[in-house]
Amino acid sequence: MTLKRRPRLVKGKFWRTESAVAYLFMIPASVFLLVFMFYPIVYVILMSFFRVNKLGDLVSFFGWGNFRFMFDKPEFWQIILRSCLWTAIAVVVKTALGLVIALLLNVEFTGKKLARTLVIIPWASSVPISAMIWQWTYNSDFGLLNHTLRTLGIWKNPPIWLAEPRSAFMANLWVDIWCGIPFMALVFLAGLQAIPQELYEAAEVDGATSWNKFRYITLPLLSGVLTVATLLSTLWTFNDFNVIYVLTAGGPGTSTDILITYIYKYAFQYLRFGPAAAMAVITFGILLLVSIIYARSYFREGVL
Amino acid sequence: MKRRGLYVVYPLIIFILVILLFPFFVMVSTAFKPISEVYANPPHWIPRELYLKNFSDIWYKYPLGSYFKNSFIISIGTTLLNMVICIPAAYAVARLRFRAKSFLMYLFLVVQMFSPIIVVISLFKIIALLGLLDTLMSLVLTNSVFTLTFAIWLLSGYFRNIPKEIEEAALIDGCSRIQSIIRILLPVAMPGVVTTIIYTFISAWNEFMFALTFITSMDKRPLTLGLYNFIGRWTVQWQYLMAAAILALIPVVILFMFIERELVQGLAGGAVKG
Repeated sequence: MTLKRRPRLVKGKFWRTESAVAYLFMIPASVFLLVFMFYPIVYVILMSFFRVNKLGDLVSFFGWGNFRFMFDKPEFWQIILRSCLWTAIAVVVKTALGLVIALLLNVEFTGKKLARTLVIIPWASSVPISAMIWQWTYNSDFGLLNHTLRTLGIWKNPPIWLAEPRSAFMANLWVDIWCGIPFMALVFLAGLQAIPQELYEAAEVDGATSWNKFRYITLPLLSGVLTVATLLSTLWTFNDFNVIYVLTAGGPGTSTDILITYIYKYAFQYLRFGPAAAMAVITFGILLLVSIIYARSYFREGVL
Repeated sequence: MKRRGLYVVYPLIIFILVILLFPFFVMVSTAFKPISEVYANPPHWIPRELYLKNFSDIWYKYPLGSYFKNSFIISIGTTLLNMVICIPAAYAVARLRFRAKSFLMYLFLVVQMFSPIIVVISLFKIIALLGLLDTLMSLVLTNSVFTLTFAIWLLSGYFRNIPKEIEEAALIDGCSRIQSIIRILLPVAMPGVVTTIIYTFISAWNEFMFALTFITSMDKRPLTLGLYNFIGRWTVQWQYLMAAAILALIPVVILFMFIERELVQGLAGGAVKG
């Protein structure tokens, strides 16, 4: 590694040694990722095609058996549907509310800095701990949410949130949304602040209304940020394990499970590693697809 | 016209903040209630009196001290390991030319989005094989893997923004490459290094799923898992859980405020660079 004791460098040789150093420097990271990321992925793919015992050892080749086992379960399809619904609703609501908050925070007013800091807190907070706090907030007898809804007359008969499938799903969904709003608001705010002010001034001279300015300046110029942020949010939402596991652990029954929590349940509760691996492979496929789209749009915005 | 706008902005902002901060209000309110008031029906928004005993009770009724200690060990271990791995990698990506670079950066960005759930099944086997089940080391390793790629990504962004010429001058003056990194690049890139350290520390501090899977003994639980186990046995002592949650959240929330801008920028890339 003592490359250049010599003050003069021969150019050709310099570039050759440079790439050697680069690979050397990448070794620790590569080895680490190979052992703890790529090997596990390969192993999961293997597992999905084998019968697997309760210790996670491969027993015998099973072909598509694990997949077929899951596909034959109506419950599995419900969970797929629920995962899609979960992701779609959450991302749309996060994006909409994030945009509204960003537009508000982009206005000059006293206390703006404080408001911005306070908006971040749900993101800054630890997700599992936030979910525990929400669990208490949702408590139907002693929790403050239902009490507040009743006292303010917003909802005379609020549900027992975590006890019934539908309301439990909504309760989980809301906590996921709540965790994700700050990031969306901050990204959009950063995007808004990057829009040159002159554009608005020029539009004002031409007599544009606020709506026109939003429609023809803000939205088009925000589209890059919108794409990247919604893709990220899609990945995070789809992957959200902590909220559901802490709040309801997928219950009652499996009525609030999404794919991610269902895999975990199959593996570590039922100890059925084979079907769990099959679902993990499916999830891997979905995530790979969306991540590649995300990476593409990230690079399209030109960072390197 | 501006003034009229504010009549809309203020109520809306306040409304949104009330909704976003409501659970934290619940947390603080509950943490200062005695148990009799926690289970009052109808519940009280504000505690009748400021009851501080919860904050002292939690330390001897639960092994909270050991939860904190474990979380510290895991987070600091993860951070150290990560820095050792990430600094050379980020340097290579930011400064050196090599063929696989753009492929690797692409790969890192994609890998960063994988859910740990995909691999936890086989990681469990690997950790068992290494004899690391129920050790803090297992969490240091797994947390590192899942913060590694974004940490390299963040750090290389910082390195790239520092003019190359400073180090080149040092190289010509007879510094070795390692010396030029340690003595020249790292001090200049300190804000970036600190950001990366905080990011890794917070991620490890907040991690829950690996702890849930790998840790079985009570005395090895980190905070997230420890607090989770407040729930579920007998009646939940919510006032204790909320008091402990306040203590667990304060350090991460404060640290997070220092890095949120860099996180947003790192995650959204060129899209938000003005």
